[in-house]
Amino acid sequence: MKGALLALFIAAATVALIVDGTLRPIPSALAYAGGETLLRTPSTPEAAVENLGDQIRLQQWQKAWSSLANKAQFTEPEFVHDLTGYFLSLRTYAMLDNFEVFPLHESADGADVLMKLYWASVVGPFEESRQLHLVRQGDRWLVEWPLVKERHVPPQVIPVDYMRWDVINRGPGDDWGAQNVAAPHVRIVDMRPINRAEGVFVLGELLNDDVVPAWVSVRATLVAKNGAAIASEGSFDMILHRLLPKQVTPFLIRFPNVDLSQVDKIRMDPSAELVSASADPVIEIQNQKYNPAPDASLTGQLSSQSGEVIGFAHVLSTFYDRNGQLVWIAGQYMSRALLPQTPMDFRISVPQDLAGQVSSERTEVATFSEDSE
Amino acid sequence: MKSALPLLLAAFLMTAAPALTAQSGSLGLPQSIAAGSAFSIPTAGSGQAVLYIVGPAQALRRDVQLGEPVSFPAGVLFNAGHYLAILVAQGSSLDAGQFDVVPAGPPASLSFLAEPSRLPVELQGGVSGTAYVFDAWRNLIVAPLPVTFQLEQASGSPQTQTVTTRNGVAWTRMNSASKEGAATFVARADSAAATRVIQEVPGDPCNLTITAQPDGQQVRIETAPLRDCSGNPIPDGTIVTFTENYNGMQSTVDVPLRHDVARVDMPAFIGATISAASGVVAGNQIRWGGSR
Amino acid sequence: MAAVVVHLPLLLMQLPLKSYDTNFHIFFASHYLHHWFDPWNAKWYAGFSQTTYPPLPQQWIAVLSRVLGLNMAYMAVQFAGILLLVVGVYRFSRLWLSPRAASFAALASVFLGAESFLVYSAGQLATTCSAPIYLNALPYLFEWLRRGGWRSFIKATVLFAAAAAAHHATLLFGSLLFAVPVAVLVLLDREDGEATSVPAFVARTVAIAITAGAAIAAVLLPFWIALLRYPVTQTPIPHPSRANYILSPQWGMNYFIIPYGALILVLPFILIRGSSVVRLRPLLLGFWVAFLIGLGGTTPAGHWLLGRAFEVLTMERFSYWASLLALPFVGLLASELVTRFRIRAAIPLTVAAALTCAAAVAWSTFHPADASDFKVDSVAAWLNRDGHDDFRYLTLGFGNKISRLAVMTDAGSVDGEWNSGRRLPELNRYGGAALTSSKYFGIDGLQSLRAMLMHANRYGLRWVFVRDPYYDPLLDFAGWRPVDHLNDRTITVWSKDSVPPAAPVNAPQRPPRWQGILWGTLPFGSGILAILVVLIPEKRRRAASVDTPSVPEESFVSGGLVA
Repeated sequence: MKGALLALFIAAATVALIVDGTLRPIPSALAYAGGETLLRTPSTPEAAVENLGDQIRLQQWQKAWSSLANKAQFTEPEFVHDLTGYFLSLRTYAMLDNFEVFPLHESADGADVLMKLYWASVVGPFEESRQLHLVRQGDRWLVEWPLVKERHVPPQVIPVDYMRWDVINRGPGDDWGAQNVAAPHVRIVDMRPINRAEGVFVLGELLNDDVVPAWVSVRATLVAKNGAAIASEGSFDMILHRLLPKQVTPFLIRFPNVDLSQVDKIRMDPSAELVSASADPVIEIQNQKYNPAPDASLTGQLSSQSGEVIGFAHVLSTFYDRNGQLVWIAGQYMSRALLPQTPMDFRISVPQDLAGQVSSERTEVATFSEDSE
Repeated sequence: MKSALPLLLAAFLMTAAPALTAQSGSLGLPQSIAAGSAFSIPTAGSGQAVLYIVGPAQALRRDVQLGEPVSFPAGVLFNAGHYLAILVAQGSSLDAGQFDVVPAGPPASLSFLAEPSRLPVELQGGVSGTAYVFDAWRNLIVAPLPVTFQLEQASGSPQTQTVTTRNGVAWTRMNSASKEGAATFVARADSAAATRVIQEVPGDPCNLTITAQPDGQQVRIETAPLRDCSGNPIPDGTIVTFTENYNGMQSTVDVPLRHDVARVDMPAFIGATISAASGVVAGNQIRWGGSR
Repeated sequence: MAAVVVHLPLLLMQLPLKSYDTNFHIFFASHYLHHWFDPWNAKWYAGFSQTTYPPLPQQWIAVLSRVLGLNMAYMAVQFAGILLLVVGVYRFSRLWLSPRAASFAALASVFLGAESFLVYSAGQLATTCSAPIYLNALPYLFEWLRRGGWRSFIKATVLFAAAAAAHHATLLFGSLLFAVPVAVLVLLDREDGEATSVPAFVARTVAIAITAGAAIAAVLLPFWIALLRYPVTQTPIPHPSRANYILSPQWGMNYFIIPYGALILVLPFILIRGSSVVRLRPLLLGFWVAFLIGLGGTTPAGHWLLGRAFEVLTMERFSYWASLLALPFVGLLASELVTRFRIRAAIPLTVAAALTCAAAVAWSTFHPADASDFKVDSVAAWLNRDGHDDFRYLTLGFGNKISRLAVMTDAGSVDGEWNSGRRLPELNRYGGAALTSSKYFGIDGLQSLRAMLMHANRYGLRWVFVRDPYYDPLLDFAGWRPVDHLNDRTITVWSKDSVPPAAPVNAPQRPPRWQGILWGTLPFGSGILAILVVLIPEKRRRAASVDTPSVPEESFVSGGLVA
C-alpha cells in the first residue's frame, strides 16, 4: 500500500512539475522556446502583435506571414524582404533580440499599436518602429502589416572609371636594405577632449596629407599628473579607416569611467598604412538638416553616385560650434543596402546637453561591401 | 644555436689567449689576411696536433703534422674579424696566436637605404640616403671609401655629393625638385652601385577655384585644373569636398579628382551657396542664381 | 567483452573527435604533456589556470600520448572509462540485486544511450571517467558503513579522491544521488545478518565523510584555492540542456530521447518496482531526483534544487547519472524477463539495447557538434610561420575547432572553450560563451566580441581568422584588413597592423610554483594509488562475500514483473 502511494506520488509530482514547467516555463527554457508559451491566443491586439514578434524572432516567416490580416496584398518573400532586406545588408543576418508593444488606439473592430523592434546586428543593435493596424475577426485579432517595399534599380550598366591604387610591398625574402614604399603621411588637424558623465571623450579630425590612400586609426593615451598612463583606447569604428588623398575623417575615442580632472595630458598616436583602394563609391550626403533640441538630430539622405550596391554603410557626422570648434561626433549604421542613385534617409541623434552648441556639421560615410576587399 | 657555438667558443678562447700566447709565439701567423684568400700557417716541432681557428662568425679545425705548413685554400676563411689560432696536442695547447681577417679588395655591393620613397616637391633636405659598403664576401668595409650619391630628377640638373665612409657607412641629405616625377637616387662606391626610385609628388593645391553651370534640374560644379604652388597637377584621386548650403540644409559630397578636375552635379537651388575644399585648402564660394 | 566489441572499433575510428568537448580535453592534455608542473596555460584567454578543472583523465592522456599520440591516448583513456563503467555498474548493482541481475545491469551499461551520447556526441571524458570510479567506490562505502572494515574504508577514500580528481561535479552530486541511497540501504539492512548499530553507522559515516573530504581537499587543493579566490561570477551562458524539452522538441530529442532510448520504456517498471520494494526505494528516489534535474527546463525542479548552479551546470550529466541509477532496475527487469520468457525476451531486449546504443552513436553524425567539418591545419601552419605567433589570434565561425587549433599552434588566443577559466573582463561581463560563436549569443555575444576587438592592442590581438562572412562588416569598420586567404578562400585572415606583439599577462590567477607541483603530483598520484589499493585482497568473511546483499533476492523480486 505504501509502495503504491509512493509510486502515485512520484508519478503525480513528475507530471505536475512537467505541466508547470511547460505552462510557466522558467526564463532559460522560455528563451529557448523563443518566448513562446502554450497559453497565448491572439484575443487582444497586444497578444496578436506579441505572437507576431515571437514568430519574427524565431524567423518563422511562414507562420508570421500566415497570421497577417492583409497577407493577400503581398507575398511571403516580400514580407521577408521587408524585414531582412532584399540586398545583402545588416538586416540580412540581424536577429530580432527584443520588441515592445505600445497600444495607441482600440475600438471594437480595430486597433492601432506601435511595435518597436530591437535588432541585434554584427556592428551593434539597431531599432525600428512600425505602426500596426489590427482588425478583429471573431475572437481573434489579426495584424495588418505595413509593408515597406524596397526600391529596385532597373537593370542597366553603369560605367565606372574612378581610379584605383594597388600596392606592391617589399617581399619577405628581400634584403634588409631593399626599398619599400613609405607609409602615407597623415596628421591630426583638430583634437579636443570633453568630459561627460560616462567618461572622457577625445574628439578630433585626421587628414590624409599624402597622395596615396591610407588605412588609418588613432589611439589616445590619457596621462595622469604623475606621468602614469591612465588608459589607452582606440577609435575603433568611430573613424573612417580608409582615407583617400586629402580626405579628412573625424574620430572619437571613449574612455569610460575616467574624469578629465585626472588627466594631465593626452598622447595621440595616429597610425597609417598604405593600402590598395578604390575611389569608388562616391556618396553624396543630401539635404542635411540639423534639427535643434528637443530631440536634437541631424537628418539627411545618402545617395550613391556609383553603380555599386553598398551593403553596409556607416554615417559619421562631426558637429561644430560657431567658432568651428568640435562639439560632438556621432554615427549611425544603415540597416539596408544603399542602391545606386537611390536616396536613403539617415538620422543621427545629438546629446541634449550639447545640442545647443551645434552650429554646423560635416558628414562622411564609410562603406563596406563583401566584394570590396 | 649552431651559429652561437663558435662565438661562445671564441669568447672562451679569447679570454684564455693571453695566457696561451705567453708560452710561445712560434706558430708563424700572418698579421692579417684578406677575406677569402688562400693562406698557409707554418708549424714547428714533430708529431700530430690539431689547429683551431676561431673568429666571430667562423671556426675551423685542421689536423696538423707538426713541422709542415697548414694550407687553407681560397674561400675557406671569409668572414672579417679578429681570429685566434690555437695548436692543440694530447689535450693541451702547444701554441696560440691571433690575426685579423680584413675585408678583401674593392667594394662589391652596397646596401642603400633611401628615405622616403615618396615626398612632396621642393622640400629642402627631404631625401636621405645611407650607404653601407661591402666586399665580395659581404664584409662591411670599414676603411674610409668615397661614396657618390646622385639624385637625378625630372627637372633640373642632377644633385651629386661625394661622401667618405666612416666605419663603413656614408650618408647624405638632398632636396626634392620643383617638378613632380620619379627621381633616380644612386649610390656608387667604385664599381658597386645601388639605385632607388624616389617619387616626388605635388604638394597641397595652391588655388582651388570652382565654377558652376546649369545641368537640367541640377547644377554642375567643376573645379579648375588643380595645381600645387609649383604648377604641378594634383594627382588623380585626391578628394575635393563640395558643399552646398540652402535654406538651412546642406549637401556634401567627396569627389576624387579625375584628369586634374573634380566635378559633381548638385541640386540647383536659387540662392544656394556652393563651396569646395581639399584637405585644409579652401576654395572660392559661389551663390547659385546670384552673383559670383 | 561486449564493451570491447561495441566500443573499441568506434574508438579506434576516433569517432569522439567529432564531439563537442573531446578536443577540449586533448588541448588540456597537450598542455600537461609539455608543462606537467605548470598549470598556467597561455594559449587561451591570454592565459588561464588549468587548476580550474580536475586533471586526472587529461593527465593520463598526456602520459599515454608519449606512446600513442594525443588522439589515440584520448581513446585509450575513454575506453578505460567504459570498461570501468561495466565493472562499476556490476559492483554497484550487486548492492541491490543478485549476481545474475547485476550482470544484466553491467551488460546494459555497454549499450547505455547516455554513455554513448556523452562519449560520442558530448565528449564528456571527465564525467564518463569519474562516474565509473565513483561507482566502484560505492560498494566499499557500503561495506565500511555496514561492517566497518578498514580495507574498505581506505579503498573507498582513495577511490573517492580519484573520482574527484577526475571530475569534481560528479563527486559533489554523486554524494547526494548515489552515496545517500547507499547509506540508507545500510540503514535498511542493519538488522539483517550481522547487525549494525545506528551509533556505529553514524560514526562511520562521519569518519568517512571527514577523511574523504580531507583527501579530496588535499588532492584538488589548487582547484579549491582557485574556486574560493576567484569564484565563477561571470554572467550565465545559455545552454540548450536547460530548455523545456516539450516546448523545444529538438532539444528534447537531443537531451532526452537519445540519452534514454529504450530506457524510457522501463520508466513504469522503475517506478512500480522501486516503490513497492522497500530496499529499492532509496535507489528510486536517487533516480527520480537525477531524472527531474536532467529534464532541464522541462520542470522547475532543477531550478529550485540547484539555484544559481542551474544556470552554470549543464543538465545532460544528470540524465547520465539517472541512467546509471536506473541500470539496477534494468538488470532486474532483464533478469526476470529472461528467466520467464527465455529467448523470446532476450531477443527484444538485445534489439532495444542495440538500437539505443546505435541511435546515440549515430546521433553524433545526424546532429554533429559542429555541422561544418573542416581542417584547421592550414590556420595552424600560418600561425606557426614568419613570426605570426608573436601575436595573439581570434577565430570567428570555427565552432569547437578552436581546441584542435590550439593544440596545433604555438600562438595564443584571447578565446577558448573553458568558460570557467576565463578572467578577462571583456569575456566575463557578457552572457556569451566562446567568441568564435559570438553571433549565436545575440547582443551579449556580439558585445563581448566588440569589447575584445576594442582592446586588441592590450592583448596583442593581431590576427582574426574568419570563416563566417557575417563578421566581416564589424572587422572592416573597426579597422581590420584582410591580409590572406586560407583553405581555398573559405577562411580569411584579418589583421590590424598597429597592434604590438603579445606580452604575457600578469594575472593574479596564475598559481604559484608549489601549487603547480601539487597539481602535477596529487591528482595523478591519487589515480595510481586507486589502482594499487584495489589490488589489496578483500578480507574473506565466513558468511558472505563483500558484495553479496544481505537481503535474499526473493524478498524484492517476489512480486514478479508487476508488484
